[in-house]
Amino acid sequence: MVPKDHSLLLTLLIAPLLYAFFYGSIYINKEEENVKLGLVDDDNTSLSRLLAQNINNSPVVDIVQFANLGDAKEQLYQGNCQGYLYIPAKTENNLLSLKQANVVMAVNAARFLPSSDLLLNVQQICLTVGAGVRLQYFEKSKGLTTEIAMQQVMPINLDYRPLFNERTSYGAFLLPGLLALILQQTLLIGLSESTAAERQHSTIASWTKFGISNAIWGKGLFYLLLYGAYSFFFLNINFSLLNLPMRGNGWELALLMFIFILTLIPLAQVIGLCFKSQLICLQVMAFSTYPIFLITGYVWPFESLPLLVQGISNLLPTTPFLKVYVNIVQGGGALQDNLTPLLHLIVLFAFYSLLCFWSVRKLHGQSN
Amino acid sequence: MNRLGDIIIREWKRIVALPVFYIVLLIVPSILFFFYALIYQKQDAKELPFAIWDEDNSAISRQLIYLLEQGETLKITEHVNNEADLKRWIQNGEIMGAIHFPVNMQNDIYSKRVANVTLYTNAASLVPAKLIYKAVAEVVIMGSAGVTLQKLQKEGIPSSSAMAIANPVNLISYQLYNADYNYQKYLVPGLITVGIQMIIIISCMLALNYEWKTNSMDELYQLSNGSASLVILGKTIAHLVVAWFNFVLIAFVIFPYFGIGVAAATGKFFILYSLLTLACIGVGMFISSLFKDVMLAGDTALFYTSPAFVFSGFTFPRWAMPWYDQYYATIMPYTSFLDAFFKAYYMNLPLHYSENEIGKLVLFCIVLFPTAIILFSKQFKTASQVSERE
Repeated sequence: MVPKDHSLLLTLLIAPLLYAFFYGSIYINKEEENVKLGLVDDDNTSLSRLLAQNINNSPVVDIVQFANLGDAKEQLYQGNCQGYLYIPAKTENNLLSLKQANVVMAVNAARFLPSSDLLLNVQQICLTVGAGVRLQYFEKSKGLTTEIAMQQVMPINLDYRPLFNERTSYGAFLLPGLLALILQQTLLIGLSESTAAERQHSTIASWTKFGISNAIWGKGLFYLLLYGAYSFFFLNINFSLLNLPMRGNGWELALLMFIFILTLIPLAQVIGLCFKSQLICLQVMAFSTYPIFLITGYVWPFESLPLLVQGISNLLPTTPFLKVYVNIVQGGGALQDNLTPLLHLIVLFAFYSLLCFWSVRKLHGQSN
Repeated sequence: MNRLGDIIIREWKRIVALPVFYIVLLIVPSILFFFYALIYQKQDAKELPFAIWDEDNSAISRQLIYLLEQGETLKITEHVNNEADLKRWIQNGEIMGAIHFPVNMQNDIYSKRVANVTLYTNAASLVPAKLIYKAVAEVVIMGSAGVTLQKLQKEGIPSSSAMAIANPVNLISYQLYNADYNYQKYLVPGLITVGIQMIIIISCMLALNYEWKTNSMDELYQLSNGSASLVILGKTIAHLVVAWFNFVLIAFVIFPYFGIGVAAATGKFFILYSLLTLACIGVGMFISSLFKDVMLAGDTALFYTSPAFVFSGFTFPRWAMPWYDQYYATIMPYTSFLDAFFKAYYMNLPLHYSENEIGKLVLFCIVLFPTAIILFSKQFKTASQVSERE
């Protein structure tokens, strides 16, 4: 069926590989760099230049100097910079006379990632420069040695240890999930289209002539082997090309992928059997990718979803699968640490297998 | 004029009668857009499960814990006694992060030694990790400045000077256009508009070639007197009007119901939305006139339009992508629309700030509609030959 149907050929044989490289390449740099930040320096002193230089030295920020606030705002409006920093006149003077120096920063929070990265970096640099100022004060006014003064500069130091994505990069966070989603969606779209085509071409009787289970798993076996091979390819070639870590046990991950694909096969057939037309199935399934990804708890905490959405999410094999997959791939966990989501996935496999059996039997009865 | 009106009315009848049109144009938008808004109904992630590992058990550590509890971001759900447990709980997803106060922290602070407080997060879940870092960093910075302030005041330094030494460079920050980083206000309009691009392209890719499927090409040929441009104009107007119904759904039902969107910028949104719609209809008509095979047209449309959201730079900026992906992004109408949408809608700026992007959307129309007319003329010639033979 697949070689004769160019739509299935495209969806099953070309799309997974093309999408994996295509989408993967977006995040190949993992994190953003050189976010433009306008600077208006009305102080123009050694302190303000030091602050600007420190900010510019950060790989995330790229300072663009403007003569006045009007120009900086205009460039923000044009989209040429994502925020601006204003250092008012007498900033250094204020500090020298033991008055707090206020610097003002405005960011375009309509775009989340650049604005939050700018805020975080500039905040840290202001704290560092502030610590330098305190150090000088303790050294000069109290006559402390640098070593002792250093201890007083920051009484409580925050040591930040982000686990499983040490650079907290967007690419390292998103890519493993994205690759799994590409596998899932191309399988769901391809297999549901194939099943819808059975209804469209009235071939249910010939499909099920060797029994309902044979029909379901005969068709499913091809997809199981094909997507097993894709999984192996993604987890080895794509992970390696994109420099993604695989911290867990490969065999355990293979077992998880096997159960996942096994669960997707009856689900895809149930979806396909809801449509009498292959084209409508393709059209509707095209809109499933984003909603599925958004409700799995991968990009947005599961507990922060409304209860109704949590319920829908729990019916998707993607939800328990991603939980275990991320734990193994990024966290270096084992299957035995994830018994609850694993059981959840197995229950869904049983549920969709029964539902698929019932749906095919019903259509088989009608076709006879 | 009558012919044009007839083509428009005929297309509306097809839209409400044929499932390939009404499912995509009328049913999918209402379900999908409502669902997108529902996902982010809580607007931001709150009460993230968090653990405390307090080996100091002092007045200062208790004060810091108290401050952490006061914010909405964290919910202290566990108390742990060692790093292994802490890491295992984070790994299993029981907690999203944890803080460690070391033994003798208070003594170190009073003895003028640096106390290291350690924050652990599960950065494989980036959104909660960033929120937790922000919440904890605020408390620790405040705590550290408070300790310095107290020491300086005890030494007889006046409070204003002590404050200047404790926090010499005070950063006053303004988050413009979404002050509280509300995810619903940020993501939902973007998801809905990218959905609109998909809806229009996936329905319009069948506007012409599906006439062969329904054996109605000859009828269309007679109705239009063989004018491919009249057919495309009529169908474009029909689809544009249906898209306006979806605009009403978005701007006057979904947005007000969920309390999102910038009501003052609705007029500008309408102009940009109409331009996006026209550009997408152009893409759809082009695909439809290029491929007589509807399934091939469907696959092409799906492949073209499905990466729009990630390539547009909505969540990950385009300048951080490799150059070839940046070029690919420009061949989708949504990319230009989004740049203009940020300025005119989210930032509520006058439309002249979006001239460049509007120009690009117009360019899509200028290139795609005439190309579609030329390609469809060839299909139409086949119809005329069939008609003559009959």
